[in-house]
Amino acid sequence: MIEFSLNGKKIKSDAEADTPLLWVIRDEFGLKGTKFGCGIAMCGACTVHFNGSPVRSCSLPISAIANAEIRTIEGLENQHPLQKAWVEHQVPQCGYCQSGQIMQAAGLLATNADPSEEEIEAYMSGNLCRCMTYARIKEAIQDVAAQSDSVVQIYNPKREVQGVS
Amino acid sequence: MTRLRKDKVEHSRRSFLIGSVGSGLLMAFAPSINALEVVTGGASKQLAAKSFNPTVWFEINTDGQILVNIARAEMGQHVGTAIARIVADELGADWNNVEIKHVDTDPKWGYMVTGGSWSVFQTYVPMSQAGAAGRTVLIEAGARLLGVKPQDCTTKNSQIVAGDKSISFADVVKNGNIERTFSADELAEFQPKSPASRQLIAKSSQALDIPAKTNGTAQYGIDIELEGMVYARPVIPPTRHGSKVKSVDDSLAKSVKGYQGYEILQDPSDTVQGWVTVLADTYFGAVKAGNAIKIEYDLGETANVNEQDIISQGETLARDKTSGTLVVDKGDIASAAKNAKTSLESVYKTSSVLHFTMEPVNAAVEFKDGICHVHCGNQWQSLFLPVVAKAVGMSDDKVIIHQYYLGGGFGRRLAGDYMVPAALTAKALGKPVKLVFTREDDTRFDCVRSPSVQQMNAYWDADDKLLGIEHGAAAGWPTLAMAPGFMPEGVDKKGKFDPFSIAGADHWYTLQNHRVRAINNPLAQKTFVPGWLRAVGPGWTGWAVESFMDELAHKQNEDPIDFRLSMLDASGKNAGEAPVSVGGAKRLAKVLTDIRSKANWGQTLPKNQGMGIAISSGQERDMPTWGACVAHVEVDVESGTVKVHKLTGILDCGTVVHPDGALAQTQGSMLWGLSLALFEGTAFENGQVKDTNLNTYSPLRMNNLPELDISFVQNTEFPTGLGEPGLIAVAPAIANAIFNAVGARVRDLPIRPEAVLAAMPS
Repeated sequence: MIEFSLNGKKIKSDAEADTPLLWVIRDEFGLKGTKFGCGIAMCGACTVHFNGSPVRSCSLPISAIANAEIRTIEGLENQHPLQKAWVEHQVPQCGYCQSGQIMQAAGLLATNADPSEEEIEAYMSGNLCRCMTYARIKEAIQDVAAQSDSVVQIYNPKREVQGVS
Repeated sequence: MTRLRKDKVEHSRRSFLIGSVGSGLLMAFAPSINALEVVTGGASKQLAAKSFNPTVWFEINTDGQILVNIARAEMGQHVGTAIARIVADELGADWNNVEIKHVDTDPKWGYMVTGGSWSVFQTYVPMSQAGAAGRTVLIEAGARLLGVKPQDCTTKNSQIVAGDKSISFADVVKNGNIERTFSADELAEFQPKSPASRQLIAKSSQALDIPAKTNGTAQYGIDIELEGMVYARPVIPPTRHGSKVKSVDDSLAKSVKGYQGYEILQDPSDTVQGWVTVLADTYFGAVKAGNAIKIEYDLGETANVNEQDIISQGETLARDKTSGTLVVDKGDIASAAKNAKTSLESVYKTSSVLHFTMEPVNAAVEFKDGICHVHCGNQWQSLFLPVVAKAVGMSDDKVIIHQYYLGGGFGRRLAGDYMVPAALTAKALGKPVKLVFTREDDTRFDCVRSPSVQQMNAYWDADDKLLGIEHGAAAGWPTLAMAPGFMPEGVDKKGKFDPFSIAGADHWYTLQNHRVRAINNPLAQKTFVPGWLRAVGPGWTGWAVESFMDELAHKQNEDPIDFRLSMLDASGKNAGEAPVSVGGAKRLAKVLTDIRSKANWGQTLPKNQGMGIAISSGQERDMPTWGACVAHVEVDVESGTVKVHKLTGILDCGTVVHPDGALAQTQGSMLWGLSLALFEGTAFENGQVKDTNLNTYSPLRMNNLPELDISFVQNTEFPTGLGEPGLIAVAPAIANAIFNAVGARVRDLPIRPEAVLAAMPS
């Protein structure tokens, strides 16, 4: 039995200890926004936040997340400025990788308010987009970065609401 | 190609019915003229009863919401948005009131395929006419309510407007009593709106499917859950064809929690041979059990085939001037060859390429009340629905494919082969089954783009005048493997060929003598199921045609753009035909001329940098999108590594229905072209592709994103297609740029640094 927090809610899972977090999120808790792509942490479609940092949930066994805070795309609650920018820049094509792209980009902006083009490329190159929407992903990130000179904190709306830091 | 078009429902002659049904207004094509003859009653009665099962294209409810049904697959091209905007523009609708719905398979929707960059091309006229008919009826009803004449009314923002009077679509619909049938002839009278009066087409807009793709709510095939379902994972046999299961030992799998056993699949459709599926109550359990299970096979005959064996067979075939089927045979190439003073021969090759859609293939299947329900994303439901039916021993009308968003198509999901093992497992188990391929399973079951070999020969007379070109193209053929009924006869009537695999070789350059041979590579055909991959034939025939044109230009000491322009005279068959290819090769000459200034062709560049040009007319001569690409590259002469600094693209696809969608598709397709040129390529090794995941297969990522400068010719010609054509010219433009940068002529795709070094002049 593993206990952790999923999008601000304390939960328990009985899944086998070696089960990747991805399948627990998707199939046990029904949050399908996090996607299965490669299974070896090399495409980024399964990216979620682990205590605020982007990780590949396809390769993270749930035994490693006891008491951790896990946030998925659903946990952004459509409130993250990147989500708005993704619509404004019409980023997604097939859309399958985009939850992971947004979670990865949110991780970037949470620690680096104004990333250079090179920093964006370095941070985002672990996330594959087969439709090749890279130019728009980059523009959307730059757009959000330009809107604020402080790091984008709202990747965890629940945390603010609950006053937990 | 032609046959596929004519089979399509949009081109058949059908009546169009508009009527008040319930509280809304329904507008629908009748299935056929004959069906109408046996039905009595007005449009409303027929629509309400659905007695002849009408194809409901769109409806307006009393709130003024307009629902447009989309029979095309959504895989990133925002197709529903483009089609709905055609209808909405003709109606004069407020775009904010338009919704789209992707429908399941039902004969009423007609033939269902999404590919070939056809969607807008094929639906433009019928959807325009349907929208115009709807507008006519709304105006008639609105005019009555306003007490004005219909001819004094227009529609705009979902209002019928006459001078200072207006009434909303919603109010007209609420009033009911609308009843109108347009005959096929009456419908055909409607011409699409003039470009000047359009309100939505060619104007900027946001795609309707995008918001759901930014918050995790978009539903893909892999997201489907069925009540009481069991998870399954396939064990892919060692050969694509001919494997047989000898024995299964699942003793180790039994220690996996939730393991539910396995099924050895018996497939009457022969889609899968020697397949075992492993079952568990979680997907991870099925993955682990699949790894633990031991299966012994009798191997198919291709168990030892390697990529080089396929390439060698291709080389032999391409060299043999009697091989293949003639697709183009202009003039007399044999006598040109005989009379030639000089000649040039080049052989171009491409490696096997994976589709690698981000969403691995999957399907969930349930048998319920005598119907086999298949849930997945698919591009060509009408091709594989009968295959699934055959596999499970049911008639076609007992199979329904429910459509979801596709986590990438790119041609992979034109093949619906992945539905078959899911259906067979569900049938054998007697429970709903969700079969998901791991990434490795997905790549080993991919219908890869076949390795190809193309031999090009050019001949000159004693005055150095180009006499003609002979082109032999050998590869595995997707259409032979999966849809042989769509293969036309060659011009020599000596056999059939895969039109999608040779398109692009029948280019728009005027040559006195020109012969193209489409050659099937039987070893490729035996070893794997060749697949259609984005841009299909032109994606690799263009590699040979446009690289070779550059070689000819350099041999003749001409500027590569001038050399191409000299052959784009739009004479004879290259004059084009109204409406779709009006202007012919002249439009190709225009994009080529435009790109010369756009890319600042001829500018002085630093050492080891160069620009290269290539053009394209994809996807087919019957539906040309005219394109030109200039690549600006830099070669590291120590390592042979190629860096692409910039890609400039100009495309003429006629009217651009959804401009931002068009740009997005072209950004994607041009970067696909770059990825295939430099980063993607695998090889068969012992009957299977050797690269099965991203640890060794490395498509383009953001760190190699070049500057993109993409523009569209602004005209009001018939809209053609945009999903693929941007890809075609990129690889040859890069190769031609490498030659201009460092003098290395590369002829193999992908372009590997070793090959660049080897080709460098000493």
